[in-house]
Amino acid sequence: MVATTAEQPFTVAMIPVSSWGFAIRVWLAIVLALFVSFWLQLESPTTAALTIFVLAEPTRGQAWDKAGFRLLATVIGVTASIAITGLFAQTRELILAAFAVWLGICVFAAKLLDGYRAYAAVLSGYTVGFIATQQIDNPLHVFESGMARGAGIAVGIVSIALVNTLIFAPDDRPRLVAHLAALHRRVREYAGAALRREPGSSTTFLSLLQEIVALRPAIASVALESSSGSVTSAAARSAAVALVAELQAARTKPDPEGEASEWAARDLLRRDEEVRQDLVALRSARWPLRIWRAPLHRSYRMAAESGIRAAAWFAIASTFYICAGWPATSVSLSFVALIAALGATTPNPRAFTAIALIGTPIATVLTGILEFIILDGADAFPLLAIALAPFAIGSALLMTSKNLLWSSLGRVNLPFTLLILSPSNPQTYNPQAFLNTSLFIAVAASLLLALQILIPPVSGDKRRGWLLAAARSDLQQRVRPNGEAREEAAFRDASRIEQFLAAGGAQDGRALAELLSCFDQMAMLRLCDAKLMQFTDGPLAPLAGEARAAIAKLDPASLRAIAHKFRVQAPQKDSIEADVAACLVLTSDIVERGSGVDSQRKAA
Amino acid sequence: MAHAFSELIIGGVLLAPFVTYLVMTLVVIIVLRPLLHVVGFAKMFSHPSIAELSLCVAILGLLVLLF
Repeated sequence: MVATTAEQPFTVAMIPVSSWGFAIRVWLAIVLALFVSFWLQLESPTTAALTIFVLAEPTRGQAWDKAGFRLLATVIGVTASIAITGLFAQTRELILAAFAVWLGICVFAAKLLDGYRAYAAVLSGYTVGFIATQQIDNPLHVFESGMARGAGIAVGIVSIALVNTLIFAPDDRPRLVAHLAALHRRVREYAGAALRREPGSSTTFLSLLQEIVALRPAIASVALESSSGSVTSAAARSAAVALVAELQAARTKPDPEGEASEWAARDLLRRDEEVRQDLVALRSARWPLRIWRAPLHRSYRMAAESGIRAAAWFAIASTFYICAGWPATSVSLSFVALIAALGATTPNPRAFTAIALIGTPIATVLTGILEFIILDGADAFPLLAIALAPFAIGSALLMTSKNLLWSSLGRVNLPFTLLILSPSNPQTYNPQAFLNTSLFIAVAASLLLALQILIPPVSGDKRRGWLLAAARSDLQQRVRPNGEAREEAAFRDASRIEQFLAAGGAQDGRALAELLSCFDQMAMLRLCDAKLMQFTDGPLAPLAGEARAAIAKLDPASLRAIAHKFRVQAPQKDSIEADVAACLVLTSDIVERGSGVDSQRKAA
Repeated sequence: MAHAFSELIIGGVLLAPFVTYLVMTLVVIIVLRPLLHVVGFAKMFSHPSIAELSLCVAILGLLVLLF
């Protein structure tokens, strides 16, 4: 037995050294990206510096993953810009309308994805804002502007990749291994408590489920980290899916004196062994025995509603700017697209806009100090590098804060500082341009916030309602996509519960209980289906057919009767027939419990 | 003897030869990755990430030199 104690991280000025390392890496990468862009005389060095901010992720694998998606999304965005501008070159209003539709499509796609894939989807959307909208009066420059943006992004990616590699950005793999092992331990503890029938374990179950599903993006990122990354990623994914299966098995509490309890305990042990094997494969970088996918529940309705809202916000904002008739509002409009699109990747878009609005004056003041007091006409690169240090490092340190408000402010502050300063060679010190850009960002954020109050984003209540309806209809229809294992289907259901909790589901006790009951029933019904498949052609085939019919009707009484018939046919205790009987008894218990939850809901 | 670099032309847009080399390096690395995993490349070095970066630079240099 090895005793472990929680390791206290080494801190400097009460901030962990890892955060300092991250902040210094961000600053160095920004300096390198700016230097290379100036040296290559690129048109948009700011894009290179902003790319560093976007790719400022704590581990190397995450930065690589996001970099790939950023490049891909930029290519899609630039292509869309050229297409939109080419189609409606003569009519500004149609360009804006087409862009609103494109933004809606991108937000729709983002809502169906997660992690960096969602980011890539919204980036394809707002890239059009930065290219087609900013060049709306100058359509011939769209291609050049797209190329300049692409070059800036490429320089940024290479810079952060170099800095991350040479200054030893931590790898995701050890962290992922430790996290999965800890989760395995906690799932075992949960299973032990459930077997002893200790009360009050529902919150533990939910937090474990949430943590496992939340690992999904990190598991995808680890694939790019090293030459054995794809193996690690496959093993970690299988381990996560197996953990959900074990957690589900632990939740199925049979009657301790009942006949199914022995079978349930065996099933739990088998699941535990699967997780253990996957973890061993993960540690030794070997392919796991089974390769499972980790599918995500996709709510098309919610995605469509979010997309329509984003398109509406942009359309109304552009109408407002056209009516206002201010000069150079295309820049402000592109910020509306940026904030609306990035907000779509957060759980609460309106709060994101509010933070952008709060962050703008802070960033303006800080940039003003940097540009007109510290630099004040300086034209040497080393001075720029040194002057940027406190701002870049400070914002990056804020980003690592555990407090959500501080970290969001850090996330907003760094890009706005870079945008307002817009480093160039030679640097221009123009107070008017400084004030204009600050004003444009502030106007964009306030306009968008006003629009989001007018047309609010999809509410948590609605999202929860749709998720619950999807769970109910899944339980009724039980259509499984071809070739999907039941463990994968259980992971999809788990991701639905996670989305439900993210939409504030913890407060909605009754709906949560129903969703969990659907989760249990689905898992058991799938298991029964799989077990009954073994009897398709044999003497027990008609009985299996009866069982399937009873499952389709969700009828506990006939399930029990059929289980009894199976048990009579069983030659010994651990035969397939006895397994099926135990499984059917458990299913009837869970279906009965589920209908109890259902009748409570109807009574309410 | 001077090395002649040819530009890649896609739809009338000239691409710098270096971009072609970078893309080729990426393709080579993607093809090599499973092989590196089988050989246990990551286990040979104390800092596998730097070793892999060096490998990329070496491949890029070779491509520029040979083609």
